[in-house]
Amino acid sequence: MTNLFESTASVKSELNRQKYIASDEIATIVYLSEKLGKPLLTEGPAGVGKTELAKAIAKATGRELIRLQCYEGLDESKALYEWEYSKQLLYTQLLRDKLNDTLGKADSLAGAADQLAKEEDVFFSERFLLKRPLLKAILSDQPTVLLIDEIDRADAEFEAFLLEVLSDFQISVPELGTLTAKHKPFVILTSNNTRELSEALKRRCLYLFIDYPTLQEELAVVRLKVPDLNPKLAQQAVEFVQRLRKADMRKSPSISETLDWANALVALNASNLDKTTLEDTISVLLKHEADLQKAKRQYINPPAPPQPKSKNNYDELGRFSGN
Amino acid sequence: MESRILQLIAALRASGVRVSLAESAESFSAVDIMGIQDREQFKLSLRATLIKDVKDIPTFEKLFPLFFGTGTPPMMGGNPSDDMTPEEAQMWAEAMRQFAENLRQRMERLMNGEPLTKSELEALGQMVGLNQADNLNYQNWMAQRMMRALAFPEVREALKALMEQLAQMGMSRERIEQIRQTIQQNLQGMQEQINQFAGQRLAENLSERPRNENIDSLMNRPFQALSDADKKILQREVKKLAAALRTRIALRQKRMKSGQLDPKTTIRANLKYQGVPMEIHHKDRIKKPKIVVICDISTSMRFCSELMLSFLFALQGQVRKTHAFAFIDHLESISEDFNSSNADEAITSVLVRMPSGHYNTDLGWSLQNFNDSYMDTLNSGTTLIIVGDGRNNYYDPRLDIFSLMTRRASRTIWLNPEPEHLWHGDSDMPKYAPLCNNVLKVGNLRELVNAVDELMTK
Repeated sequence: MTNLFESTASVKSELNRQKYIASDEIATIVYLSEKLGKPLLTEGPAGVGKTELAKAIAKATGRELIRLQCYEGLDESKALYEWEYSKQLLYTQLLRDKLNDTLGKADSLAGAADQLAKEEDVFFSERFLLKRPLLKAILSDQPTVLLIDEIDRADAEFEAFLLEVLSDFQISVPELGTLTAKHKPFVILTSNNTRELSEALKRRCLYLFIDYPTLQEELAVVRLKVPDLNPKLAQQAVEFVQRLRKADMRKSPSISETLDWANALVALNASNLDKTTLEDTISVLLKHEADLQKAKRQYINPPAPPQPKSKNNYDELGRFSGN
Repeated sequence: MESRILQLIAALRASGVRVSLAESAESFSAVDIMGIQDREQFKLSLRATLIKDVKDIPTFEKLFPLFFGTGTPPMMGGNPSDDMTPEEAQMWAEAMRQFAENLRQRMERLMNGEPLTKSELEALGQMVGLNQADNLNYQNWMAQRMMRALAFPEVREALKALMEQLAQMGMSRERIEQIRQTIQQNLQGMQEQINQFAGQRLAENLSERPRNENIDSLMNRPFQALSDADKKILQREVKKLAAALRTRIALRQKRMKSGQLDPKTTIRANLKYQGVPMEIHHKDRIKKPKIVVICDISTSMRFCSELMLSFLFALQGQVRKTHAFAFIDHLESISEDFNSSNADEAITSVLVRMPSGHYNTDLGWSLQNFNDSYMDTLNSGTTLIIVGDGRNNYYDPRLDIFSLMTRRASRTIWLNPEPEHLWHGDSDMPKYAPLCNNVLKVGNLRELVNAVDELMTK
């Protein structure tokens, strides 16, 4: 396997060129994962750039990105391979004459069956194999980056299929035997941690936890991806998002939402984060009604500080309440 | 270096992190590649290979510096008395004379910035019983005791006196300040050294602690007879059991996929053969149960409920939807808590919200709450599970609501830690039981596992 990256520093700069800002941690673990030839399991809250990391790696290395999106009920035939029955059927129909030629020479039924058996391989060859993402990544002539997205959504049994692929980079097809990778793909798995993954799967991967970025990191991302936003506003916006994350929200805003928001601010030609701008655009950041109300209460219209008590002893109904 | 990494791994295991042999081998190859020059990269290569769960990262961050410390803390080497003028040296010697012999030695030592030797540290540790402890929470306390054994408080006092003495004798202010700073820094360095040593030794002890093997007896022990430490062990065990159970259930659900005949589709598909069943159709989608669980979290039932909830939420993938409710004197939905965090944290947060009082368990009123707000969670696909002892403090059991609930749900299962012969007094169990499809006794973890298994079979 050719070396993709020379050092952790080059991982960082290459990813940076793809507009992905990698922390030292990310760079080191990506480098290590490539060196060891081990799949990389990335976990973290939604929208911190796990999928983006895979895309950036693919672009940085000039490899094709093959993506397998997981969902409940995903099975072998959708992820590994499937025989293309209709194509097989079509071919037998079209090749009937040719078959007659081949089989016509046989003088007995047994002979014909033997003849046919010799040709069996034609119908169970890679020609009729419908390659699904995993097989595609393994059989590709070019080295690839394989992204198995949101593995936690797939059923637990599906993880078992993955084990063979991830540890040996091979797939067993009963009719063809074992297909081994020509080039080991660089495998990245992502998980939103909605359920615990099996020990066996974890054991085969390196683990990278990507958390929400720090203020500086996030600001750098915003500056890189939304260069039109003026720096002062960018700073204000990122500070606001960071503050929202600290508050107890049902769904904290992710980086992608920060970027959406930054784009919205540019589109609205905002020059300052004032109350109206915030009120108009905050729904880009927060997607739950309860969160929206809370943010509006706490940050946009903070409760007025208590008024100093009036000097006289009359309450608002005009009653005298003692002296 | 190798043995140090192995010790770290052993300590991780002792702190409850699962590290397999393959992973520890992996960590060595990672270290081979990344080298050990850069401490940060070295740490990351160990972490990426050994730790596979966010929850375990803090444990790793705590243990790593104990095994791969920053080295001996810096001390200001050199004796400041070297560049003292003869008068100053004279004053110094004069001022020192007032202290007892051993105190003087200690202070000279601090002046010179000599770190403690390994054997001295060993001896200190021996003195305070460091070798018998294997709990990292004791690190500060142990360090404190070691410092006291070194007479740190007295030394500090003596320093103050020394400074005053020197000032009286007319040493220049800057010089005194310089001496004070040197000693202060060395003192801090020594404290650091002791603290590090204590932490390391505790972590090493932790790594040598034999693994706990008597899980089996704990599984059979009744919930009431468990100590807090036992409960912690069992909590950990639940995760393992849940994983095993999950595989078993998933396998069963998968096998069931092709097993069951689907008469409706079969008849329809075979109409074209004049009803002769040529094509047999099977149900290809198994019905995952939808669960509504109502847990008694009063003091007597808390642990049982907690384990039950841990199980249910570990089995999320095998269940279509779980609605969880908790009650003591009234009922609250706790599904939200569980979606955001793990079971033990969620239980704690629920308990903060719903503190338990004395004899205030009221299932009847809680059923009324359920009837008012959540009845729509029950339908023909739902399995209703009640975890509780059915002791109602002589309140109205509200059998009318309960029977309505059992009729709406496809199945009702009651998990009760008490065996049938104890159902008297304020227990309303004899009244509830006939309405349930099944009443299972879950007095210990093993019975609970069997109950969960039973629950998922149909």
